[in-house]
Amino acid sequence: MIHILQNALREGMLNIRSKLPTFLVTVLMVSLSFMVFDIFLLVSWNLEYALRSEQENVGIEVFLENRVDEAEALRLADLISGMEGVRSVYYVSPREAEAVFRADMPEQADMLELLGPGFHLPASIQVSLLLEYRTAEKVGTIARTISGMEGVADVMYGEEYLPGLTRAVSVLEKLVFLAGLVLAISLSLVVANTVRLAVAHRALTLEIMSIVGAPAWFIRLPFVGEGMVTGIAGSAGSLILTWAVSSMLSSTVPHRFLPGNWILLILALGAFSGAAGSWIGMRSGFRRPRR
Amino acid sequence: MIVSFNNVRKYYGSWPALEKVDLRLEEGEFVVISGPSGAGKTTLFRHVWMGDLPTTGTVEVVGFSSDGIRSGDLPLLRRKLGIVFQDFRLLPERTVFENVALPLQVTGTPPKAVRRRVFELLADMELSHRRNSFPNELSGGEQQRVAIARAMVAHPVLLLADEPTGNLDPEVSRKVIDLLVGINRAGTAVMLATHDPRQVPAGAARFVYLDGGRIVDPSYWDGYDQL
Ligand SMILES: Nc1ncnc2c1ncn2[C@@H]1O[C@H](COP(=O)(O)OP(=O)(O)OP(=O)(O)O)[C@@H](O)[C@H]1O
Ligand SMILES: [Mg+2]
Repeated sequence: MIHILQNALREGMLNIRSKLPTFLVTVLMVSLSFMVFDIFLLVSWNLEYALRSEQENVGIEVFLENRVDEAEALRLADLISGMEGVRSVYYVSPREAEAVFRADMPEQADMLELLGPGFHLPASIQVSLLLEYRTAEKVGTIARTISGMEGVADVMYGEEYLPGLTRAVSVLEKLVFLAGLVLAISLSLVVANTVRLAVAHRALTLEIMSIVGAPAWFIRLPFVGEGMVTGIAGSAGSLILTWAVSSMLSSTVPHRFLPGNWILLILALGAFSGAAGSWIGMRSGFRRPRR
Repeated sequence: MIVSFNNVRKYYGSWPALEKVDLRLEEGEFVVISGPSGAGKTTLFRHVWMGDLPTTGTVEVVGFSSDGIRSGDLPLLRRKLGIVFQDFRLLPERTVFENVALPLQVTGTPPKAVRRRVFELLADMELSHRRNSFPNELSGGEQQRVAIARAMVAHPVLLLADEPTGNLDPEVSRKVIDLLVGINRAGTAVMLATHDPRQVPAGAARFVYLDGGRIVDPSYWDGYDQL
């Protein structure tokens, strides 16, 4: 059993070695087809990432009335942190607010001198929300509840851009999924057909194998294996090419490369479509006896 | 009995390639199938290794019947047969050794045993010095001997040779026929298809004549005119 398995694997290597130029051309064609897919994923991944980090900043700023002292503010912060959807709260004292202001906008610091020592920036509570609560609707609800609380002067959150952002993220997610699916299917067909053509030249090998009494799996395994290797090598090649393009562009268009699980997905798709192509190509070479 | 055709008809579409064929072959026998081109010799052979199945009638070969044979049984049937073709059908990207070793490797024979058997057979066939050559580096006669070695390597019960000398000149053809006679003397049954039955020494074999898909009486056979 061990020997027959070893031999089946050796068959696969022999197939690849004997047709190395064909194999390399096939791998290159698969790589170029997959590059379209990779670049599509790269662009949508970066878009989504940008939108997500925009969403990351979504929070609520609660400005307190001047008469609220620190002890009361902390009590209020405690209350808010107990609310549904709130991840954390942070109390910003008037002094800290001033320090932040001076650090962030040094040119405008004179304004504070102008207003005189009696003026204080209002104390505030920064509320950060759990991810699933960062939609226009849910932020609005939480903000309204907080604005009704004793000692709260004003509540601010991204009222204008938040609904658009929420919509953009969900539209993009659907779009990526749909386009990705269509691309993946058409890509599988292209790769399958490329591999099928490469395998069609092996009709003699198929015939001889079957005539010398090789079991069907022994005949198929090397072909499917060869298809998988072609698919994986092709998709890996496409990733290398895409990575090269990506790092060439990274200084002009800052972006990130695809995350690990997307890379695995691309390799798996390559393996699958290559194996499928071999299977289809082989079936046309297999002639079952007919009556 | 290792081969038995019972009232076999084979139609390709409406074209009759075999008509009412009855044929039996005993263990260790040598049968020569002759007949003009298109007589159905290749079709008959394809039925023995069940690359084709009869339209009506049954074919039984080494315990397998064409009635209800499963595709999983085909490899088991073919391991008991050795098959040789007119055009050799060696795999061009493999060496002589690799071509001959193939039938053993597909059944999982340990590598040591494969080497021993292949070397022994190549020595018998005076091909040892050619074991690392590729088929396109060999003469036609050498290629056919490699093909015969591949057919014999797994000790078949029956050797099928479909016009093995069709592509060879007379001198080389005679050597190939002698080789088949020797193989038969050593105990393996042989079925040989040929246009020219005179190649085979009269006492060495039983002669069967096909014409238009039917087995005909040799005394009525006038095929010699066409040779
Ligand atoms: N796959 C097929 N489809 C249709 N007709 C076929 C097929 N195979 C064989 N035939 C026909 O069946 C008849 C017998 O063919 P076969 O090849 O068995 O003859 P043969 O005796 O081997 O001839 P040759 O000596 O030329 O090799 C021929 O008329 C041939 O055209
Ligand atoms: Mg023929």
